Amino acid sequence: MDQALQHLVNGTVLGGTYALLGIGLTLVFGVMRVVNFTHGEFYAFGAYITYGLIVLGGVNYFLALPLATLAGVALGALLEVALLRPMRKADIDSVMLVMIGAMLAMQNLEMFAWGGVAKLTPNPFDGSPLVFGPVSVLPLRLFVLVVSVLMLLGFWLALERSRAGMAMRATFQDPETAALMGVRVGWVNTATFALGSGLAAASGALLGPVFMTSPTMGDLVGLKAFAIVILGGLGSLPGATLGGFALGFVEEFAGGYLSTEYRDTFGFLLIIAVLVLRPQGLVPARERIG
Amino acid sequence: MLRLDGLSVGYGGPLALQDLSLEVRDGELVSLIGANGAGKSTTLKAISGLLKPQAGRITWGGEAIGGLSPRAVIARGIAHCPEGRRVFPQLSVRENLEMGALLRRDHGGIAADLAAMCDRFPRLRERLSQAAGTLSGGEQQMLAIARALMSRPRLVMFDEPSLGLAPSLVEQVFAIVREIRAKGTTVLMVEQNAMAALQMADRAYLLEAGQLVQAGTGAELLASPEVRAAYLGG
Repeated sequence: MDQALQHLVNGTVLGGTYALLGIGLTLVFGVMRVVNFTHGEFYAFGAYITYGLIVLGGVNYFLALPLATLAGVALGALLEVALLRPMRKADIDSVMLVMIGAMLAMQNLEMFAWGGVAKLTPNPFDGSPLVFGPVSVLPLRLFVLVVSVLMLLGFWLALERSRAGMAMRATFQDPETAALMGVRVGWVNTATFALGSGLAAASGALLGPVFMTSPTMGDLVGLKAFAIVILGGLGSLPGATLGGFALGFVEEFAGGYLSTEYRDTFGFLLIIAVLVLRPQGLVPARERIG
Repeated sequence: MLRLDGLSVGYGGPLALQDLSLEVRDGELVSLIGANGAGKSTTLKAISGLLKPQAGRITWGGEAIGGLSPRAVIARGIAHCPEGRRVFPQLSVRENLEMGALLRRDHGGIAADLAAMCDRFPRLRERLSQAAGTLSGGEQQMLAIARALMSRPRLVMFDEPSLGLAPSLVEQVFAIVREIRAKGTTVLMVEQNAMAALQMADRAYLLEAGQLVQAGTGAELLASPEVRAAYLGG
């Protein structure tokens, strides 16, 4: 029982960052109908920028996190304007190929810039775990969870309560009619991609000190991001949040009780099961009208 | 006042609209009638900036507005209530109305107009926090009209406002359109129900296959043998 509680805590920590990762990807697909293969690379980008700022720049860890997120936002905006905007009228397959190309370019540039050896980002937290009755949690992991949840809440509030968020949701549902209301749809696309990339960079920045940072880490992370999004229902924001936590729990429990080596496998088995039994996802995005 | 001079619009293939000239004077209710594919919706989309004209001019109060973005057009006081209602299904009724006022910054005025829309359409008040996709077809049409009015337009363009509605609702929608004009807003309406559209209109234009074939007052077109034969059932 105690062990189960411990896995629950670990799964929650992991799930929070997975949810951030999934929301960014599902947002880009929902608004722009772009299958964003670079998502995992933005995660790696966020992790490397954090590492670089702290180790090479001597920047404080708590300052490096928002800076890396902003760097992700900026690079996302640049990529949207340079690659996606000229292809707005292209078919989805051509856009996919371009995104795969961008993913390979980003990954190899990371290899070129940082070398192939994995890095561990230093962090200022005490390495001895906090003990709450039967469960213990590292201060760093607790911090990661708190920041992830705050970001999820902040993102949800901005989307549901602000005018810009309303315009973004309207564009999500019907871009042409949103344009008729005065929404600058091109601008919403850039903002969406920048925001999605920023969320991926933020989760990379948060997990940099938890896992090792290596140039190919974006592959597995990108694959998991797709898994989360498909699990929740493509284009559904609550689905991506739920999918993120679901994947976190499955990996953690399966890793704990069945096999640590194959923990990633169990996540993907879950996806296969969902696709066979409930192909529309756990919380399908409602049908687009018009 | 809105003027189109020799407007041509295409979607890449043959022109959907060829050399159309028309005008809508301040305070008028003008109807565009014609069969499916005659170019009526294309005309409205060119005016509101969703489509770029290939040739010709669109002027609004003397200013050339052809080729401007939809945002620039609505900012100049022209609202477009699109065909098929097109409410944002997952936004609440209130949010749909707020989307109509997206470019306005007078928060007091927006709140007052929202209250006025609720007075005019009591069904919307009852459903303000409900998702617009859960409304009935008639309610969605009322919402689409109210949303277009939320920008406080000087000209509002309706594309097939009666499409797909039960006969009792059709009458109601036309009454609302007349009421909007009576309150001083200029109206340009596309409508397949030619009889109703001509009876309401100060002036009307008949389009066929992307070209203007007849223009005149509503009464003149109602009396025209060609119009009677083709659109009013003899």
